[in-house]
Parts: sequence; structure tokens; C-alpha cells
Amino acid sequence: MTDAAPTTVSSGRRRWPKRATLLVQYLLLQPLIIILCLVVLRIPPPEPPSRYLVTDFSLRENGAEQPVTLPHFTASRHAMSDPPLYSGRFTWPGGEPQGAWSVLLPRFTNGVEVTVNGVVILDSRRNPAANRPDRNTPEIAVIPASLLREGPNDLAIRLFVWGPIKGFLDRLYVGPDAMLRSSYDTRTLLFVTLPVVFSAWQAILAVILGIMWAMRRHEPAYGVLAAAMAIGVGQAFLQTPLEDSPFSRLNAILISAAPLESAFVLTFALLFFGWKWPRYGWLIFAPGVVVAAAGLVGDATLSREAFLFVGAPTVGLYVIALALVVGHSVWRRQDAVSFMLGCALTIVLTCWALDLLSVLQLVPNRRILLARLSYSAMLVAIGAGLTWRFARALNQVDGFAASMVILVREAEDKLKASFAREEERARAAALARERTRLMRDLHDGLGGQLVSIVALSERGNAGAGIGDAARAALKDLRLVIDSMDDIGGDLMLALGSWRERATAQLRPHDIALVWRAVSPQGLPVHPELRPWHVIQIVRLLDEAVTNAVKHAEARRITVSIETSIDAEADSQDLALGRITIEDDGKGFELAPDGEAAAAGQHAARGLRNMRSRAARCGAELELSSDAGGTRVRLTLPHRFPDSDAAAG
Amino acid sequence: MSVLSDQGPSQPVSILLVEDDAPTLWRLQDALAKAGFHVTPAATLTEARASLAQAGPKVLLTDLQLPDGHGNELIRETRQRYPDTEIMVISILGDEESVISAITVGATGYLLKDAFPTDIAATVRELVAGHSPISASIARFIVRRTQSTAEPPPGPPLNTAKLTPREIDILWGIAKGFSYAEIAGHLGLSRQTVPGHIKNIYRKLEVHTRGEAVFEALQQGLIRL
Repeated sequence: MTDAAPTTVSSGRRRWPKRATLLVQYLLLQPLIIILCLVVLRIPPPEPPSRYLVTDFSLRENGAEQPVTLPHFTASRHAMSDPPLYSGRFTWPGGEPQGAWSVLLPRFTNGVEVTVNGVVILDSRRNPAANRPDRNTPEIAVIPASLLREGPNDLAIRLFVWGPIKGFLDRLYVGPDAMLRSSYDTRTLLFVTLPVVFSAWQAILAVILGIMWAMRRHEPAYGVLAAAMAIGVGQAFLQTPLEDSPFSRLNAILISAAPLESAFVLTFALLFFGWKWPRYGWLIFAPGVVVAAAGLVGDATLSREAFLFVGAPTVGLYVIALALVVGHSVWRRQDAVSFMLGCALTIVLTCWALDLLSVLQLVPNRRILLARLSYSAMLVAIGAGLTWRFARALNQVDGFAASMVILVREAEDKLKASFAREEERARAAALARERTRLMRDLHDGLGGQLVSIVALSERGNAGAGIGDAARAALKDLRLVIDSMDDIGGDLMLALGSWRERATAQLRPHDIALVWRAVSPQGLPVHPELRPWHVIQIVRLLDEAVTNAVKHAEARRITVSIETSIDAEADSQDLALGRITIEDDGKGFELAPDGEAAAAGQHAARGLRNMRSRAARCGAELELSSDAGGTRVRLTLPHRFPDSDAAAG
Repeated sequence: MSVLSDQGPSQPVSILLVEDDAPTLWRLQDALAKAGFHVTPAATLTEARASLAQAGPKVLLTDLQLPDGHGNELIRETRQRYPDTEIMVISILGDEESVISAITVGATGYLLKDAFPTDIAATVRELVAGHSPISASIARFIVRRTQSTAEPPPGPPLNTAKLTPREIDILWGIAKGFSYAEIAGHLGLSRQTVPGHIKNIYRKLEVHTRGEAVFEALQQGLIRL
């Protein structure tokens, strides 16, 4: 927007309220989303009937024993040996109708080993998904019927904790498998299957974005986002290493790559929304690199600590930065993509904040971590945004094609017009050359001979008629040459020469030629005017003057030239030119059909000629004559006819 | 143009009349002599040069196609030697092909060969009185040249760059058949200043340098190198 163009400024000012309205809408929507998130998250995950709850345990930890009530947090530790042991009891009523019994552990970190009556029935460390503290993986184990005793049974749970976060064991259930299974299935669907689905979606996004970047190298934003997606996929599907293996360190790097992923997403946002790349922009990758280096160089403990103390805050910080970038873009671009991304980021941010509070135990909680799951909102927004842009690009292509068709048509028309103009110019040039040639020929031959005839006839005193004829021939020659000249459709230019010739013709007869231009501009310009029109009109005027000289005994001839506006259409385009020749002679009688009756054969023929010439030019001829003189009024057409239709 | 000055010259005005067609020469000579002019006839370029060598005439009337050369050469020579001599071309058709080329070497206007004797005398008398006549067709040719076109227009070359917008307006008026009084009225001028403007127009169309003259002559095919 520049100050130079006032219209732009005013339109910009007019757009301000609209922009501000949009921003206010956006800003009001975000708290609404946060509130909605909080409300949804307050809905507790499905749990079996509470009569199967087992909450009272005795915890033996570090040699000390104490009674605890689940849910329970234990201190974080870094060794697998001597884990905290929760011992409790449950009562089995016995009997076949009960069916199989199971132990359901809705939530625990990081691993559990469940023992019933001294026999291990479950070790969650064999389940890779269960080892991830960021997944809320439940576990269920069917207790073999042979183990169960009617009455009280022993239940012991060893909780494996690998720091730096504290260990956690949620309330657990022991009861008929049929009663526990549906709750377990729902939790599995929510916290295990759904993340896998979203990770698959992320993998597809990675492929799509990668292809996009490969095809459009000048848009690195897509490549960056593809890298982020690829990292995310790797992170989701790789397993937490429990022992050292050749790939364990690589795994550690990938699993702790969330800060790297968020740095890539931030980079994408900066590039995509057209930000100037900051000078030290690459520093945003530093935390991710630090975490990765910790995983590569240090042991598992260092890797985990680096992730918790460097990685997690980095992710939060970058999500906040992303929200700001996108919010700015909502203000500046007002497009659907930034709007959707902004809303998705608010969801992620809310869940991340809740997770942080939950991990730090700042709020009472059951350690359900949702940041990772909420990230899928962003994946959906990215996918939707991509599709939206793709559809819009397709529409633009359609629009472009349509406008190209129009442009091509316009160009064709212009070309045609230009061809016509070129043809017209070539025609005019050819005419001018022809005229020049004709002029030279006439000048060298016929013209000179006619002049000699005039001179000789005057000298001899005998051939006055011959002299007049020769002079008339010369006059006609000049008319022909004159009318071939390009006058650009301005009939006034032809009349100017005609006035000179007529004045010279009338002078020996002592007849005055009065020239009245009633309209200052004379006659309207007719671009379609051709030399043959000019000849017809000038000869018609000549005829009128000759009649006045030969038959009317006039003393004065008045030529009036005017442009009259058509009464029916007051547009200037429809102005009509009118030439009126009046004499003060004795006039002649007109027959009822307008033909001259009594004025003699010669005059009659002259009048017929005038009518036919006017008709050939599409002009209207009015004759009126009385004792006070004769008036010939020629009204020119709106448009001169292209071809000499009346010639035959 | 149309207004004749009735008072005859107190001293005979000398005219050099160059025309190779004998009947036309006699006719023009008669008309001018009867009007009281002192006419020196010449039928060729050589005769005309011989006459010019003795004295500069007040008026030079010359045909263009002469047996031993082109009238434009004579016009140019006269213009250089006797800047005060009024020069006019005798033309059959009054066409721009001949008249414009003569104007560029110093002529002011033309005389039609078949003009009536009274018109011939009147035209020369006006010329002597300082009124340079200009015909509608010549004015038309000049103003059409002032309009910019993509390619060089046909006809003799003419440089109209020096003309002022007012002079071009006057030419338009003449081309459209308006009288000096009407033109002066339209343009808010005094009627008496119009002939002066026309004289200026003639001077501005003249080709002054020798180089320009040679170029123009080459263009017209008058000389070959």
C-alpha cells in the first residue's frame, strides 16, 4: 500500500475494520477452544464398575514397607533392579458362572510386572507401546483359572521406573474379564490405535509433502514440513530401547526428536508465511541437536533427562512461537490455512500445558498425557490446509485458463483490427502512389495540351467555346486528382479546394460566392469517406453552381455548411452534415414528382444527375425553387455506403 | 486572395516570366502586360539566367519543366541572389507534387496556367503587395504532413517541424475553405496579421542549407550523383 495512489489508501483504510473484525474473531475463538479442550478432557476415560477396584496395597520400596492407596506416585529412579513392589489382595468368589478373571491396569509408568499368587502373569516391558511414557497404554492380563483360589488371592505388582519422571500406578481392577475388557478396548482404541492411525496419516503427509517439494524445489517450506513429518513418523513407530543394541542409540535420537520436529515445523511456518529468515535462525535447531547428541553420546538416563529438561520446554516454546507466527499470518493474510493452523495450535498448546502441569504434579491427575495425541489436530489442519490450497490452485488454474481464453480472443481481435488498419494504410499508400503517377502523367501530357488549347483559343478570338471546354476539362482534371488525395474523412478539406475552384469559375460571370460555415467545425468527420464519394459530392455541388450560372441568372450564390444533430437521437455520433446552396436567380418550376419541368432539357438532366449522385452516396437531396431563387439542400448520411450500390 | 487591390503600381513592376510553351507564354505575358506590369519573357533556363545576370526582377514567375533544366534550380538561384524577389510557380494542375518542391526552394504559391487574365494580374498584384497566397490544397498537404504517421507519407518530402500550433491552425482554416477573416475570427487574431503568418509559413518550409538542398534535390530525383 503506497501513499502515492489515493484510491489504494482509501481502500486499505476501508479494509482495516474488516481485518480487525477477523482478528477479534480469531482471538475470541481461541479461549473458546481452550475451554472446550478443558471440558472434553475432564470427561474421565472409561472405567469398569468400581466394585472390582483394588486400591489398598502395601508398598515395599528401598527396604521400607508402607501402606498406600492407589493412584500412587513413586520417586523416579534410574535402575531396573529392586523396583517398588505393591502387594495387595483380591477376593475370588469362585464358581464357573464368573468366567475368566483378569487384572486391568488402566495407567502406569513406566513398566509393570503383575504376579498373582506368586505366578507372573504379565510383564509390560515386552510391549513396546506400553514402554512409552507419552502413551497412555493400558494393560490387561487374564488370570489362569488354575491360579485362582476361592477367597482371598495375592496380587503383587512390581513397578519399573526409568527416570527422570516419577513412577505412577493408577487404580487397578481385578474382576471378570467380560466386565473389564470393554473398558480396556476403549482405552486401547483411544491411546494406542488412534495414535497409530494418526502416525500413518503423518507418514502419508510426509510422502505427499516430499513429492510436492521434489516437484517444486523453489518452495523449500514443503521440504521442511516433509522432514518434520518424517521425523514424527520415525518417532512414533520406533521402540524404546531397553538394552543396548546396535541401533539403540539411533533409536534414542529419533525418539527424542520431538524438539527437532517442532523446530522443523516452526521453520516451515516461517518460510510458508513469508517471514524473513532471521539471522540466527538456525539456532532454533540447537535444542533438538543437543537432545540428539545426548542420546548419541550419553547413556539412556542422560538421553531421557535431556529430553525432559531441554526437549519438552523447547517443544512448548516452539508451539507458542508457532501460534504467534500463525496469529500474525491470520491478521495479515486472512486465509483459511492460517486460521485452521492457529486453532489446531491452540489445542496442542492447551494439551501441552496440561501435560506439563500433570508431570510436575501441580494439579491432581491420573497422568493421562495428551500432547502427542493433540498433535494430530495439527496434522489434520496441515492436511486440510494443503487440500484447500490445492483446490484453490486448481480453481485459479481454471480461472487462468478462462482468462487466457478471453485474452487470446482479445489479442485476436486486436490483431484483426491491426490487420485491417494495416490493409487500410497499404490501400491509402497505394492510392497515393497511383495518384502521384496519374498526376505526373496528366501534368506532362493532357494538362499541358489543354492549357495550350486555352491559350490558343483566347488568342484566335474565334474559339471561345473551345477555350471554355478546355478550361472545364482542366477543372475536372484537378477535381479528380484532388479527390484522390487522402483527406482523412474530413469532407471540409475537399470543400476548401472546391470553394477556390468555384470562386475562380464564378468570377468572370460576376457572381459572388458567399461561404457560410454555420457550425464552427463545419461537417462531421466520416472515416469511411472514399474518393468516389468525394467526387460525387463535389460534382453535385458543381452541378448546382453551374445551374445557377447558366439557367438562373443569379448574382449571388450562398453555400452554407452546418452540422445538425438528429432530432431523434441527440448523441453527437449521429450528427448529420448538411450543405445548402442557394441562389438569388429566377428559379424554375418543379413538376409534382420533384423533377424540373419547364426549365428545359439541360437543366432537367442536371437535376437528374444531382439526384442520382446523392443517392449513390446515401445522401438526401432537397430541391426547392421559386421566383426568389433556388435552394439545393444536401443532407449527408450517418455513414457513407461502402459500395456504389446505385451505380448500375 | 479574393480581395483585389485596385490601385495599379505607380512604377512598372518588373516580372521575369519563364515558360517554354509559346501559346501559354504569350497568354500570360498579355494578361500581365495589360495590367501594367513590365514583363521579360524567357523560354529556357539559359535565357532566364541571362536575364537574371543583368538585373533582379521584382517578381519571378516560372514553369517547372523547362527544356534545359528544372524550374527549381532557377528559383533557388534567384532566392540566393535576390532575396527580395517574389517567386511564384506556374503550374498546370496546382498539384502539391510540383508546388511543394518549389516552396521548399523559395517559391511562395503558384499561378494556374489557365487562370483568367484578371485573376493572373490580381494574384501578382497581391504578391507584390506582400500577400503570399496559399491554396486550400497546398495548405491541406502541409497540415496533413504535420500529423504524425508511422511511415513516411507519399509525395515530396517536407519538414513541418518548425511550424507553430497557431500557424498550423491557420493552415487548417485555409484547407477547409475559410477566408482570412473567418480564420482570424476563429483564432482571435486580427485579420491583417494572417498574411504575415502565411509568409512565415512559407519561410519555415524553405530548405536553407546547401546540404539540405542537395538532399532534397536527391530525394526528388532532380539531380543524380
